[in-house]
Amino acid sequence: MASFTPYTYIQCPCFDLSNQTRHSDGSPSPTSQDLPEDDDEDHAFDPRSPRSNYSLYPLEYLLYCVDCHQIRCPRCVSEELVTIYCPSCLFEVGSSSVKTEGNRCTRSCFQCPVCVGPLAVQSLESAPEASLLSADNASASGPTGPWALTCSYCNWSSSEVGVKFDKPQGIFAQLSKLRNGSNTGADVPLTSAVYARAFSALRSFYQSQLANSNTGSSMAGGMGDYGFSSPAALTRIMSIYSGSTSKPKNKATVMREADVPSEGFRTSNLDESEAISKLRAEGYDGTVTMEQAASQVEEGAHFADELWPVASLLRTKRAKRCPACRHILSKPEAKVSNTRWRIRLVAGNHIPSVTIKPLPNPGAPPPSALTPLKPTQYLLTFKNPMFDSIKVTLATPATTPGRFSSKVTILCPQFTVGANSDDYDLNEVLKAEDRDQRDRRREDDGSHQVEAGKVFERGRNWVSIVVEVIPASLQIQPTPSILQKAGEPDPDLAPLREDEDILEIPMFVRLEWESEPSQDQVGVASSGKEKDAKEKRELAYWSVLGIGRISQE
Amino acid sequence: MSSSTKRHSMMPRAGQLPKAPVNLSSSVVIHDNAVLTGNHTINISSETVIHPRNKLDSSHGRVTIGRRCIIHERVVIGAPSADPTKGEFGVTLEDYVTVEVAAVIESGCTTIGEGCLIGVGSRIGRGAKLGKYYQHCTITARSVIQPGEQLPDYTVLYSNGTRRTDKRGVTDLKNKAQARQIDVMRRLIPTNINRFKE
Amino acid sequence: MQLQLPFRKPIASWLRKLVTKMSSRKQVKGEYIETDTGNKVSRKANLIGTQHIMLGGKTVIMAEAMVRGDLTRTVSAQGSSGAAPQSNTSIFIGRYCFLSRGCCLRPPGRIYKGAFTYMPLRIGDHVFVGENSVVQAATIGSHVHIAANAVVGEFAIVKDYVRILEGTVVPANMVIPSFSVVAGQPGRVIGEVPEGGHEQFEMREMYKTVGNNIPPPTAPAQLPV
Repeated sequence: MASFTPYTYIQCPCFDLSNQTRHSDGSPSPTSQDLPEDDDEDHAFDPRSPRSNYSLYPLEYLLYCVDCHQIRCPRCVSEELVTIYCPSCLFEVGSSSVKTEGNRCTRSCFQCPVCVGPLAVQSLESAPEASLLSADNASASGPTGPWALTCSYCNWSSSEVGVKFDKPQGIFAQLSKLRNGSNTGADVPLTSAVYARAFSALRSFYQSQLANSNTGSSMAGGMGDYGFSSPAALTRIMSIYSGSTSKPKNKATVMREADVPSEGFRTSNLDESEAISKLRAEGYDGTVTMEQAASQVEEGAHFADELWPVASLLRTKRAKRCPACRHILSKPEAKVSNTRWRIRLVAGNHIPSVTIKPLPNPGAPPPSALTPLKPTQYLLTFKNPMFDSIKVTLATPATTPGRFSSKVTILCPQFTVGANSDDYDLNEVLKAEDRDQRDRRREDDGSHQVEAGKVFERGRNWVSIVVEVIPASLQIQPTPSILQKAGEPDPDLAPLREDEDILEIPMFVRLEWESEPSQDQVGVASSGKEKDAKEKRELAYWSVLGIGRISQE
Repeated sequence: MSSSTKRHSMMPRAGQLPKAPVNLSSSVVIHDNAVLTGNHTINISSETVIHPRNKLDSSHGRVTIGRRCIIHERVVIGAPSADPTKGEFGVTLEDYVTVEVAAVIESGCTTIGEGCLIGVGSRIGRGAKLGKYYQHCTITARSVIQPGEQLPDYTVLYSNGTRRTDKRGVTDLKNKAQARQIDVMRRLIPTNINRFKE
Repeated sequence: MQLQLPFRKPIASWLRKLVTKMSSRKQVKGEYIETDTGNKVSRKANLIGTQHIMLGGKTVIMAEAMVRGDLTRTVSAQGSSGAAPQSNTSIFIGRYCFLSRGCCLRPPGRIYKGAFTYMPLRIGDHVFVGENSVVQAATIGSHVHIAANAVVGEFAIVKDYVRILEGTVVPANMVIPSFSVVAGQPGRVIGEVPEGGHEQFEMREMYKTVGNNIPPPTAPAQLPV
């Protein structure tokens, strides 16, 4: 069985919002039937419900708005582009050139159309011998053309589809010239070039058609014209008000469809014998996979020799804003090479991290999977990142939701976690560690008893508590008909679904702490105007603890 | 410190394993840290380079390595396979074969054809034949070739099992590059073939 | 042994220093060689060509890890090996790097101006290389996590804050921009490192877990205070 790493996911409050909006319009959505009926606050949420997938995040993915004092997730923040760059050559691309040139790198960065590996420009001729060069090393010129793009991973080469370059720079320009220009050799597959040319011909044809009809209609007052400032619009409105039912007299301005190849008209090629014979000759290997066809820039590739190098897609650096107050939550430095952040308000600095590990049981090695119906104890360690001590209140449903409900007991649902300190002075840290040790030893005197209502272990800014689970049995048995109550839905007897054997505990976390009133917004502080008055704060959220897999025997 | 401590850690290992009867060309480069073990003959032809920490194991059959091969570090050639029946020979590498870091080639009539490249950390099962004439296949990193599998010439095995045919036609270029690479390694890797000859 | 208590110093911390001093002196047989700059190199590591390997300090090299310093640059064809006075370091490793068991670092090689040569491999700070991973990149930035069994191909350029997941094969010449999560065969960027995940690349804690007198937290606990 695959190893399992315990995890903690935290639910973003935006889940709630979407829930409320869904219910406010009163229309029962089709998914609401298999969701719990009541969305009351005190109802435990089900981490397995399909909606939960979209609101549960590991702590690292969450941001924290210091104005709203609320968690923000990648789904609810609004993003702003800071920098657009090519992930391959790391050159910055201006937003204006993205508008004109598209969202791909216009230098020489290409991906392999076969395996998505990076393509490198390589000479098709062999390099001159080293022995010949050693005499005049300084003047040694590198290998000479023609050049091709080759993939170092799957050994694809653009020469396979007949694409060769005269010089090793500016591949994008050379490639688009090869593709759309008329100077393509006979060996270059023309399908996509034909598509591109057909499209541009069609576009120019219809543009001219439009222009023609516009000029025609403005004279004749046709209905097809919607330019409001034109005289035609005036005549149209006049004709409506005058109530005259007279149809436009001049029907000649109706738009004509393209019907000759020069206008971009192209009969579809119904003669597929060529493709069939190609298929016969090259077999399955000669065709493209769906993924390969989808990654192509232009559509229409069916055979492997129609695959062209794919210019690499640009990537962005983005700043994030709070959806409610527009406060900036994170903002990277604009330069591509700079990895610093101007602003980075991460949730990890505001809410305690939770780590899960099995309670060390001397003698027995930690089991790989949970034994059904055997009480097992886990240690939850809360680490406080804040400089104020926090009071933590935990709540879990007595049994986990889902088909297999395991029993859960938090032995100490209420405790205080000490404040984090910011001193990096070595002696201080050592002293603090000493204090830690002492604290630990003092706890030691209590000999680490797993006791209800007591903290298991405590450090300067962390607290460990014990949670006991009694994993459910994964046996799927129908309830005897005698025990089945009337009106109750039939139990779900489907076989074990994917990951249904993971024991997940929904846990409600409530944090209370007192902090300095934030300086930037004085008016909000509710606890009076005194300077040293501490402000009471509170944050509550749902989280999910992934404890482990229940063994199936 | 380096050489003395290394000897310490290496020597017992080399000592434990029986030295294989070898047949080495004088132009072969074998790093001192390589291990040649087993009771069948290990043949290595001219200008082949064996990097440190390699294990050529002929205890399950003969190991033959052709000319101008490069065997990178931590490769195991002639590894025991799950199937214990012995073949008539162990492993044959033809000329211009490159075996990259930490690849494993199982013993038992396994043939790697001329100009093949075995990528980093790949595993070639026993009795596999690369190439119809066993030539110029590329096995990308972390691939696994099942025992007895046969690959036609110029096959590229990538993305964990996908195959395609190499149509670059750069065999000569590749062989030339290999020769140059060997020239450099000859200078960089200290060798003392006599150490392996009994 | 005479103990002279130093004046005006917290005794506990002084004792702690003494203990570490004593233990490091008697740990001649320990698994790790600890250098002045804080590198911890396992005696079972395979460092080849140590004179061509540069460690920035506080770097951990575990047993069976292999570093090929001997594959040096040979581009100046006339002066054969190491004749040039310029430094011929083939592998640069920054601070707080962690080379796990069985990993392998080797410089990438290619044909340059008609001759084959190896090029230096540069690794930044806080770089983790997982078990049995093979790194042949040109550059690895800082704060890079390479999980177990990954392969970083020749001349790959990995920028800062990159996470390479287990079993990834990064093809040769690939450039991986900062804050990328890479996986697959061939490797491709499958996601971004979240804003809150930067601290996970920090290797200081990891550095402390390895050494000759580990585990340290239990040792000072016995000290009288």
